[in-house]
Amino acid sequence: MYTCYDESEPKWPRFFSFMRILTFGWDFPPSRNGGLGVACFGLTRELSQKGVEVIFVLPKRQNAVGDARFIFAEDERKVKVRQVESHLKPYNAADSRVYFISGYESSGKPIIKSRTIVEEAHRFAHQAALIAQEEEFDIIHAHDWTSYLAGVAAKIASGKPLILHVHATSYDQAASENVDPSIYKIECESFAIADKIVTVSSFTKDLIVRKHGVNPAKVEVVHNGCDTFIPTRHEPLLQGLKNQGKKIILYHGRITIQKGVDYFIRAARIVVDVDPNIVFVISGWGDMTSQIINQVGAMGLSTHVIFAGALWEEERDRMYQSADLVVMPSVSEPFGLVPLEALQHGVPSLITKQSGVGEVLVHALKVDFWDVDEMANKILSAMRYPVMRSQMVNEGRRDLDRMSWKEAAKKVHQLYKTLLQYVTS
Amino acid sequence: MLTVCPYFHVHQPYRVKRYRVFDIGNDNEYFNDSSETDLNNRRIIDKVANKSYRPTNAILQELLDTHPDFRFALSFSGTVLDQFEAYAPDVLESFQKLVASGRVEILADTYHHSLAFFYSVPEFERQVLKHKKRIKELFNFTPRVFRNTELSYRNDLAKWCEDNGYLGIMAEGWDKYLGWRSPNFLYHPPGCKKIKVLLKNYKLSDDVAFRFGNQGWSSWPLNAETYAQWIHAHHGDGQTINLFMDYETFGEHQWEDTGIFNFLRALPGLLTRHGDTSFKTPSETALSYDSVGEIDVPDVLTWADTDRDLTAWTGNDIQKDAVSTIYGMEEKVMATKSKELIETWRKLQTSDHFYYMCTKWSQDGDVHAYFSPYQSPYDAYIAFMNALSDLQLRVSHALALNEEKALAREERKLVEVKTATALEVKPEPMPNPTTWQRLKNWCSQVVGRLPFLRMIISQKH
Repeated sequence: MYTCYDESEPKWPRFFSFMRILTFGWDFPPSRNGGLGVACFGLTRELSQKGVEVIFVLPKRQNAVGDARFIFAEDERKVKVRQVESHLKPYNAADSRVYFISGYESSGKPIIKSRTIVEEAHRFAHQAALIAQEEEFDIIHAHDWTSYLAGVAAKIASGKPLILHVHATSYDQAASENVDPSIYKIECESFAIADKIVTVSSFTKDLIVRKHGVNPAKVEVVHNGCDTFIPTRHEPLLQGLKNQGKKIILYHGRITIQKGVDYFIRAARIVVDVDPNIVFVISGWGDMTSQIINQVGAMGLSTHVIFAGALWEEERDRMYQSADLVVMPSVSEPFGLVPLEALQHGVPSLITKQSGVGEVLVHALKVDFWDVDEMANKILSAMRYPVMRSQMVNEGRRDLDRMSWKEAAKKVHQLYKTLLQYVTS
Repeated sequence: MLTVCPYFHVHQPYRVKRYRVFDIGNDNEYFNDSSETDLNNRRIIDKVANKSYRPTNAILQELLDTHPDFRFALSFSGTVLDQFEAYAPDVLESFQKLVASGRVEILADTYHHSLAFFYSVPEFERQVLKHKKRIKELFNFTPRVFRNTELSYRNDLAKWCEDNGYLGIMAEGWDKYLGWRSPNFLYHPPGCKKIKVLLKNYKLSDDVAFRFGNQGWSSWPLNAETYAQWIHAHHGDGQTINLFMDYETFGEHQWEDTGIFNFLRALPGLLTRHGDTSFKTPSETALSYDSVGEIDVPDVLTWADTDRDLTAWTGNDIQKDAVSTIYGMEEKVMATKSKELIETWRKLQTSDHFYYMCTKWSQDGDVHAYFSPYQSPYDAYIAFMNALSDLQLRVSHALALNEEKALAREERKLVEVKTATALEVKPEPMPNPTTWQRLKNWCSQVVGRLPFLRMIISQKH
């Protein structure tokens, strides 16, 4: 693509069109962990399409490698998935422990040991330094905090420019309370060393500028994308309820403090007082699950709130398609793919103003996460006025085309090119 | 000979507060926001009065005093007049003073700045009449030229105006309908003989209204000399330059630091410096010139956005839903005969409410966002529809009450009739007196009247 004499494209020596990126991440589809793997997958796919060679380094996790190879079977030359000896698990606090089999006794009984997640991140970094010496590449790109140290180690080992991709921060995960000091320390140190930082929203950019003291000029915003195909329609779930004329409000996501499910339940109480024909479905699991179940009981909402467990793939799609409104009540959401997925399934969303996706998604209802009265008001209004729901879907879907992974990859590719230009000049 | 016809439109709506579902049936006040946001109507009037109405009126007064030829036109929505009266009576007085000069014309309009003509002509007529009365009462003036909300225009509206005795009507001088022709002449609508259409010169008008403070504009900064030259350049190819814009252009849309006030202050002097240039009000313009041709506008034409149609108000589904819901209530609202309910219903017809729900995201969209006090079109729709739901509830209560009253009245009547018939004692029918009896009666009456006869009879006995 650089052979043409297009004014808008800088002319590069040919070998740069095969730029090779050493990418570190810890989650890749079809693992079932949330938006991060989806983002890495979408971005990598589109970058490969652009002729970028991606070496994706994942900590060793069962299935991950085989699955990833399976997904990129067609592009095998361009995407190379490497595995390292590590046991990182996504979305864990720094002091949560990772259990692994370190060997076997003579009797065949496994020897189980554990390490903290920070220790794992350091181990990952150690491996990364070795890989950086073995492989040839132009740029290092590390996704999310567990890979930051690996990225930094690779940079030190190779001297190549480093991009850190911020999908979430310690402040998001902790909803600004009790921020994990060891994660915060890793973030600050890595941000200082990185050549460029990519955040998934201006919301997150502001946050790291404010909280981590990052120079805003170093930060580039690349909004996450979304797949633009129209998914297949399935037989809806909860048909019985729908036949009774009940309306369904869906929460889909992890049940953690960051996601604001407790505010959602408080809004549900207000909604049900006005309109008892509304049912709330919570699809997901997380460390706050039992607390939320207790809260539902204590607020007398047991007949109005359904816990569906964590739903994936077809089940998840069916759930989306059965809902009348999807709510993402996040306290602090760097991006948030749920409302975009919901749109694909033809369901409008209510999101919080503390969500990065709101910067690109106009056709959604927006509230402050703490304003449960307003959240309830908007849920009830959405149920009263179906015209508004259909318009949010129709116009929102048109906007989805602007939000493809292709657009995101274009920006990242541009960033790679600027970095390489800087290196060569 | 070239005349300039400046016309400034003064309007503020009653913005609906953040009216929630829970308020339906509990809160009858939709327009009384008291927060520090732009939903607070009193706060907006205070703000715009200081930024625009007070300083601009002072300049206009000064211009009228110093330039005996200077004249212009104003149009007011009833909603802004009501708010001036309540929140800024001094502003209203300064407008009255301007009009008292005899060189400021007021245009006819709908009272509630509504799009009623396109949805219900009878309702439109009621609003125009109400506006006419209000203008007479406040300014002792009877408008003779019509302008409809957002300069919306269509052939049938022009026909209506002619039938109702107006001299002229205003419209956007849009190329789609003008073709190669110039907006600087008067035209007539098809099938009309008397009424003339005054077309806005949108290039020259928008240079002031929209582009004046835009630093990215090639002609920025625009000074009054240059602008006067642009107008003088039309000598020979036009009769009237119609400069129509929002009054709030001065100080509100274009802030004081853009130099807009100095521009306004300098312009009339510079324009009339050219001997053959003068000012005319719209009715003077309509009376001075003949129509040069027919202008045929079968679809709605407005002065908004690059589309110049109604899509800024009724372009998307939520806008259509809101508009059809409110006009669908007409029959019931009118049947309540309640002044308060009808007035509230009309305040909700103000076109601004629908403008806030617009989702066009082009360059126009930015304009919409600037003018909207809501954070999103959906917030605007929710507040509006919830308020409307409450109004529907009140209307059906009022109708039920009316029905009850009517029933009670009927019952009372029935009871009255019954008791009346029960009380009425029918007098015994008098038997027809015979001739002899009549004679006897007559005799005794005569005897009774004449004392001497009475005496004779008694002496006889």
